[in-house]
Amino acid sequence: MSRIIDTGLKELSATLYRMGELAHRAVLKALIECIEGREAHKEVREMADTLLAMADHIEDKAFELIARFQPVASDLRTIKSYMKIAYDFARFGRYALDISSINKQIGGLRNCEEWINSYVKEMSEKTSEMVRLSIESLKSHNTQIAEKISEKEKEVDRMYFEFLDELIKCGATTKCAVSSVLIVRYLERIADHAAYICESIIYIATGQKEVLR
Amino acid sequence: MAVKFDVQNLNAWFGSKHVLKNINMKIEENAVTAIIGPSGCGKTTFIRCLNRMHEITPGARVSGKVIFNGVNIYDNGVDPVIIRRKIGMVFQKPNPFPMMSIYDNVAAGLKLNGVRDKKILDAAVRRSLELANLWDEVKDDLKKSGASLSGGQQQRLCIARALAVQPEVLLMDEPCSALDPIATAKIEALIRKLAENYTVVIVTHNMQQAARVSDYTAFLYLGELIEYGPTEQIFENPKHELTERYLTGKFG
Repeated sequence: MSRIIDTGLKELSATLYRMGELAHRAVLKALIECIEGREAHKEVREMADTLLAMADHIEDKAFELIARFQPVASDLRTIKSYMKIAYDFARFGRYALDISSINKQIGGLRNCEEWINSYVKEMSEKTSEMVRLSIESLKSHNTQIAEKISEKEKEVDRMYFEFLDELIKCGATTKCAVSSVLIVRYLERIADHAAYICESIIYIATGQKEVLR
Repeated sequence: MAVKFDVQNLNAWFGSKHVLKNINMKIEENAVTAIIGPSGCGKTTFIRCLNRMHEITPGARVSGKVIFNGVNIYDNGVDPVIIRRKIGMVFQKPNPFPMMSIYDNVAAGLKLNGVRDKKILDAAVRRSLELANLWDEVKDDLKKSGASLSGGQQQRLCIARALAVQPEVLLMDEPCSALDPIATAKIEALIRKLAENYTVVIVTHNMQQAARVSDYTAFLYLGELIEYGPTEQIFENPKHELTERYLTGKFG
């Protein structure tokens, strides 16, 4: 027998899945913009704004479900986690916009040495894969996929610090140094939020508060 | 945790119907323990076994132990009347003695126990009504009939009546099911206050009430104790699939 709350929960998850897809597209678009120099700032800004509005909608809907149904157990964990995940997706959008802004204001990775471009590209691919995994884990509520994220997050963290070391040694131009440092920093934060999403999935499924970072 | 009741292998029957099956649980002193579960799962029978009320029903019987203050209340030689004085009960429907005044309702238990001194009775009535958060509302109308009070006030009068004989435990069987939300909120606040000095065991069909007022929650299903633990754990992260299904309304 379906419950009245199920309609609200389905609406919440459908919005969240759409957010996940949009957040992933925003991150990819911003990265391609920076790495390949394709102008996409306006588009990324619109995506980031939409993600923020969707996060607000999810919060309102979640509050409505709490007020109307006083959910407990897995329902409560789901609603609480969906609010957190909506925030994580909104952060993906915000970091995508920040990355895009670097391209627009400072020139992105144009005129950087080849190794910097390659490094950022590799880190982007790893981060993007984490975003994809976090969304897949959300859609399937699959804790095994969620668990996979931990190693990847550590790898992105390692790359971030390694990049800073290498950058200091190589004496890059100021513009390039600022751009690349900010980009890898945002990538590292996106990776953190992908891990938070996976932590939320594990919490929904098991009630355990695991730390994957 | 200081244990008020240690329930060991408790079984209860109505005739041939086995309604409680091997219940084992320790109930903490000066805490509120909520008993939840679907209708007919044995909640009321369980609390009626805690003060030997179950055996009053013809054909009812009990096996196992209920250790209260270190003594099994079902041991030979234990006086059930004394047990019921120490372990008071409040019922679903407020049941003040309709022909008695508010004062006499509260004093009834003491009078039955032989207390006749007016000063002692006056003090006990006032103390009990204050404890039940009713004194300010009725102090000028103590001679009025208990039946003249509102439903919520009547229930607090019944709580005051139970408190007058200075019990150690209050058993409450759906004490708010006949009350409106405001009267319910008053009783719930009172339950929390009482838990500072009394052990409270409450049966409720209202899961949100259990979540609001209790420190521990026990889930019974078909006479068995399925899960028992701190209320926040039961309501946020139940360990047993049956508890999860009951709490989220996925039964049936």
